[in-house]
Amino acid sequence: MTTDGQPPGPPAVPPAADSLETKGPSDGEWLRVHPASPFVRGWVALAAITFFLGRDVVERTLQGQPVFEDGFARRAPWLLGGGAVVLAVAVLGFVLTWYFTKYQVSGGYVRAKSGLLFRQHRQARLDRVQAIDIVQPLLARIFGLAELKFEVADAGESAVRLAYLKLDDARQLRATILARASGAVSSGTVSAAAAGAGTVSAAAAGAGAGSADSPGARHFAQPAHEAPEFTVLAVPPSRLIGSLLLSEQSFFIVVGGFASVALSVLTENRAFYFYLVPAALGLAAGYWNFFNKGYNFTAAVSPDGIRLRYGLLDTQAQTLPPGRIQALKIAQPPLWRPFGWYRMQVNVAGYGASGNAAEGNTRTILLPVGKLAEVMAMLSLVLPDPGTDRPAAVFAAGLTGRDSDAGFVTTPRRARLLAPLAWRRNGYTATDTALLIRAGRWWRELVVVPHQRTQSLALHQGPVARRFRVADLVLHTTAGPVAPRLTQAGLDQARQLFNEQSARARLARKRQTTEQWLRQVAPGATVQLPVRQSPGTPTPGVPLPGAAASDARIHHQQEGQQHG
Amino acid sequence: MPTEAIDPPDIAWQRVSPTYLTVRLVEWALANLLAVLVLSAPLVFVLLGWWLWPPLWLAVTIPAAMLLVALWRLALIPRQVRAIGYAERDDDLLVRSGIFFQRTLAVPYGRMQYVDIAVGPMERGLGLCTVKLHTASPGTNARIPGLPAAEGARLREQLAARGEARLAGL
Repeated sequence: MTTDGQPPGPPAVPPAADSLETKGPSDGEWLRVHPASPFVRGWVALAAITFFLGRDVVERTLQGQPVFEDGFARRAPWLLGGGAVVLAVAVLGFVLTWYFTKYQVSGGYVRAKSGLLFRQHRQARLDRVQAIDIVQPLLARIFGLAELKFEVADAGESAVRLAYLKLDDARQLRATILARASGAVSSGTVSAAAAGAGTVSAAAAGAGAGSADSPGARHFAQPAHEAPEFTVLAVPPSRLIGSLLLSEQSFFIVVGGFASVALSVLTENRAFYFYLVPAALGLAAGYWNFFNKGYNFTAAVSPDGIRLRYGLLDTQAQTLPPGRIQALKIAQPPLWRPFGWYRMQVNVAGYGASGNAAEGNTRTILLPVGKLAEVMAMLSLVLPDPGTDRPAAVFAAGLTGRDSDAGFVTTPRRARLLAPLAWRRNGYTATDTALLIRAGRWWRELVVVPHQRTQSLALHQGPVARRFRVADLVLHTTAGPVAPRLTQAGLDQARQLFNEQSARARLARKRQTTEQWLRQVAPGATVQLPVRQSPGTPTPGVPLPGAAASDARIHHQQEGQQHG
Repeated sequence: MPTEAIDPPDIAWQRVSPTYLTVRLVEWALANLLAVLVLSAPLVFVLLGWWLWPPLWLAVTIPAAMLLVALWRLALIPRQVRAIGYAERDDDLLVRSGIFFQRTLAVPYGRMQYVDIAVGPMERGLGLCTVKLHTASPGTNARIPGLPAAEGARLREQLAARGEARLAGL
C-alpha cells in the first residue's frame, strides 16, 4: 500500500509490475491524461476544418470537373497551404494542451494543472469529495475513454475534471480517490494498516464483482481495488417511456395541441400549424434528452457509496459516497399516481452549482421513476439510519398519507382557508436522524433533510399567515432542486420545531466527527470494508417495504457504530 | 391585527444602532423622491401646456399614488429598523427582521463558511457597517446591517472564533 492508485499499465503482469516500480516511490508523480483526449474533445473543430477543406475537392471530383479550375489553380496552393497551417496549428494546440495537462494524487489532495498561456492549478482535498462521476460521451465511449469528474466542497469553483483517461484507469483512479476520501487508505498509514488494507483489497477482489481483468496476484500489488457492488434496482425502458409520456409536460403539450388545433379550426388559418413545427422539434429534443439520459438507469450499492449508471449514447456513472446527500425529494405528479410511480431528486454539494443547468438536472436525479418498493430501497441506502422504529410506515405516510398518520403534524384546521386542498397533507415529522416535510394533495411531495446536513433555518411569516397564526419554516441546504420549506405550520408548532431542529442539528453535527466516512468507524476501519458488504447482499431483488425496513435496521447498527 | 412576533420567546435581542435609521432614510429619499420627481414630470409638462396627451387627472394621480406609497414606507422605516435584531446563542446566531413579513433566521456557528463586513460610503460616514454570514447554502441570507463599526468587528471576531471551535463539515 505504499503506492497511490496510479493507473497501472497494460493488463499483462510483467508490465504492471514494471509500472509499479516506476510509479511506486513517487506518491505524487505528475501524470498526463490520454493523448487522444484533446482530439476527442475537439473533434468538432477538426471535423469542421476538414469539412471546409475537403468539401470543395470532393464535390468537384464527384461532378467530374477538374479539381482546380484555371482561375482557381493559381490560388489553390495558397488556400491549401493556409488550410494545412490552420489544421497544423489546431493539432499543435491540441498536443500542447495535452502536454500541459497533468494531474497528481498525493497526500490528501488531487491536483490538476492545465493551460499553456493561462495556467490553471486546481487542487482538491480528498476528504471533501462530495461525489465522483465517470462520464463517457459517445465518441469517448467508442475509443474506450472516460472523463473523471468530481465535486469537492471547498471554497469556490468545485468541479475537478480529468478528461480523458482510459476507462480502466478512470475506474482505478476513482477507486483510489474514494479509498483515500473514505479514510480506508492514507499515505501516512503505517505498514500494519497497509497490510490490513492489502487484505481488504484482496478480500474485495475475492468478493469481486466482475473484476474479470487479471489474475489475483495483481490485486495484492494494486493500490486500491474497485469496491464490489450490488445492483439494487434498474428502471426498465418501458417504464421510463411511460413516465415521460405521463409527465407534467406531456399534459401541457396535449392541452396546448388541442388549443392550437381548435384555434386554427376556428380561425381557418392553416398557417398556424407551421408554428407548431419548431415547438414539436424542441419537445422531441427534450424527450430524447430525458430518454437518452434516463435509459438503463441502474442503482448499485458499494462500500464507496451509491453508484448510479445511466445513459443510452452518453453513459455516466455517478458515485455518491455515504452521507453526502444534503436533502432529498420524492415527488409524484398526478398522472403517475395510478401507476404508483415516484421520482427522487437530491441536493449534493457541487451538483447544483454546476454551470450547465441541464447537466445539473440529470445529475441530481436519484431515481427517474420507481415504484414504492424501489423508493424505499433507495431511501434505505441514502438514509441508512431512518431514526425510527417503523420507517416503512413513516415514509409511506409521508408519501401518501394525510392528517396525523405516523406522527405527522399538519396545518391546523383554522388555516384551512389558506390551503383548502392541501392542508391535511402539509405537515412534518422528525425522526432521530432526519426531518420529513410533506406537501401537496395532487402534486405529492416528501422532502427529507438529514439533521446533520441542515445549514441554517428560518421562520417566515407574512401578514395573512399571521391572521391565521401559522408560519413557514425554511431549511437552507446547498444549491439544488430540493428547497425544503414547511408551509403553514401552526405558529406554536413552528416555533417549537425551530428550536428543536436547531438542537437536533447541533447534536447530529457533534456526532459526526470526520469527513472520512470509514474513519468514523471505531478501530479496524479497514476490516469493515468486506464485512459492511455482506448485509447489503440480500438487498437486491427484495426491495419490499418490510425488507427495506429490516435492511434499514441492519444499516442502523452500522451507522450506530459509525456515530459512536 | 395581532402582532405576535414569530421569534421564540425569552431571547434578549441586540438591536442595531439607531443611526442606521439615517442610512435607511437617505436610501429611501434617493429611491422614492427620485421616482416621484420623475413621475411628476408629465404633470409639469401638462401644466405648462407642452404636452396634451395625459389628462390632468392621470398626471396628478400617478405621482400622488407614488408619493402615498413612499410616505407609507417612510412611516414604516423606523419600525423596520427597530425590528432588526440579532442574538448570539451558545451554538447559533439568530437574526430577525421585518414587521409585516417577519423572518427569524438561525445560523449555527459550525456552519459558517466565512463572515464578511461591508461598509458603504454612507455607513462609513456614520461609523456603521454590515455583517454578512455565509454558509454552504445560497439560501442563507444572513445580513445584519447598521452595526457600529466596533461592534461589527467584535461580532466578526466572535463569530470566527466560535465557528472555528465548532467547525463541522458540509
